[in-house]
Amino acid sequence: MTPQLAFLIGLFIVIVALVLTRKQWAPAVLHAVPSIWRIAKITVAEARRRRVIQAVVILVVLILISMTFFSYLSPQEQSRMLISGGLAAVTVFGILLAIFVAAFLIPQELENRTVYAILAKPVRRFEFVLGKYVGALIILAVIVVTMTVVLVGVLLLQDKLVQDLPDSAFDPNIGGVVFAAVMSYFAIAVLTALIVLISTVASTTMTIISAFIIWAVGSLQSTISDLAAHAELPVTKALLTIVYIVVPKLENFDFRHEVSNFMPVSYMAAWNPLLQGIGYVAVVMILASVFFNDRQV
Amino acid sequence: MASGETVLQIEGLTKVYRSIFTPAGVKAVDDLNLLVRRGETYSIVGPNGSGKTTTLKILLGLIFPTAGTASIFGKGIADLSVREQIGFLPEDAYLYDVFNGEELLNFYAGLFGFSKKRRRELTDELLSLVGMQANRKIPFRECSKGMRQRLALAQALVNDPELLILDEPTSGLDPAGRHQMTRLILELKRRGKTILLCSHFLAEVEEVCDRVGIMYRGRLVAEGTLTELAGAPTEIVITTSGLGADTAKELAGHAAVLGVEDGTVRMGHESEGDIWSVLEEIHRVGGTILEVSRPRPSLQDVFVRAIRQDTTEEAE
Repeated sequence: MTPQLAFLIGLFIVIVALVLTRKQWAPAVLHAVPSIWRIAKITVAEARRRRVIQAVVILVVLILISMTFFSYLSPQEQSRMLISGGLAAVTVFGILLAIFVAAFLIPQELENRTVYAILAKPVRRFEFVLGKYVGALIILAVIVVTMTVVLVGVLLLQDKLVQDLPDSAFDPNIGGVVFAAVMSYFAIAVLTALIVLISTVASTTMTIISAFIIWAVGSLQSTISDLAAHAELPVTKALLTIVYIVVPKLENFDFRHEVSNFMPVSYMAAWNPLLQGIGYVAVVMILASVFFNDRQV
Repeated sequence: MASGETVLQIEGLTKVYRSIFTPAGVKAVDDLNLLVRRGETYSIVGPNGSGKTTTLKILLGLIFPTAGTASIFGKGIADLSVREQIGFLPEDAYLYDVFNGEELLNFYAGLFGFSKKRRRELTDELLSLVGMQANRKIPFRECSKGMRQRLALAQALVNDPELLILDEPTSGLDPAGRHQMTRLILELKRRGKTILLCSHFLAEVEEVCDRVGIMYRGRLVAEGTLTELAGAPTEIVITTSGLGADTAKELAGHAAVLGVEDGTVRMGHESEGDIWSVLEEIHRVGGTILEVSRPRPSLQDVFVRAIRQDTTEEAE
């Protein structure tokens, strides 16, 4: 058992033990789970009805399918290009959708005042925030899974088409593709949590702008670290260090380069970003609940 | 009017909105004291910006008071269990517009933890109560204003609340819609619900409420039953026909008559003893008596008087 897995299991046991041993927590948890789930379900149902997400997914699917038209490339180049381009599409569109889904989750409820009828019922504010977040996670999971399934389908189809060609070296690398897509989803989940946090205190526009900045900075964290290490001014160094610590290291979830270049991927390398991500999401959602709890709606 | 157990009590409630542009703050609610008893229908009336909705939002925990306290069924408003017994109809019916009535009620009932079977029963009962049974599948955004308002009332009733808080329930409705909503409120009153209602449709308030509180600039400037607020009748009004200009002038000369205008003879309330002599005089000059009444001031009159009085006191 790896230390990371042991840590996760330990964390789970501690949480369960805390809930079970503190009688006053049990009713709150028992009450919270169904409320969170109902809010998550209505969030998903609402997104499904609005059909905007479906339209974007269809667009991405069309982009992925159109990638098969590059038949002038060698099979190996084609597979590299398909995997790299396909995963980029999954990640980029996934993150873009995450930004636009999450940035509107809470502000739209406040703007449309649909939150009044909910908070006037026995629903705690943290339940509402978590319900919205879980709903967003489900929506984004459906999107990422759909796009990944299409990408895998395209890769398998292409594999079938070129396998009879002489000197065929097409490698669909399905395991790697799925792994990279799952890791992209976790990056999306972390970013979504942060967007939900910002949206509890800022307007939709500010949330969207902040989300793009965080996405950019989070994808360049190793550069930020280098810059911090070599900064001469103490203020710059301190600022860069704070950014490095506070902003999630989204690039740690990015395995596109390894997968598309058929480099060996250690699945164990996923543990560190995963654990960091879980911890980060937990802290961020606690903060989002605290901020929303104090917000006048 | 019931005079039983206290359902809602507000003491010294104050809400000040502060911003960088108004560091001193704007007082939306100013030292408000209010008490609503079980089974009572209490209405807060007041012009826009008088603090009615702010008060309701504080009661529902949507915003927080700057000072003062409020309790519902003896518990502080922060206590989540209080909301098990409350139903809230927001102004302008803000519900998820992509869902139909059936789906909406199923969702809101789910927030109270009802089973699937109970949710289905409740949905049927409530849609039938608000007259939306036939339109249960119409998405909220395609509903008329009246239908929306009725659905919003239905969602406020999913938990069979003891206290109903209605914010401008007839706002934006046409006369038929207003009539329907007023009937529904009266039906809920008949079922024993305690109702706190905010409105500036005074006719509706007069029809449904036991007690009225008039809010102006965040303060409760008058409170009481309609009779208490209106006070005793101040005039006796005799409606006649067939009075000519000369005869009207002649009547106006009578000691007990305050004035004659368009066939309406007004007498001072204290001149009750002179009524027969005035009636005889009308008869003598050839007028026909259609009606004799002692009208009380309407809520509209009371409302205007209370606000005017408050403004005058402030100026002084």
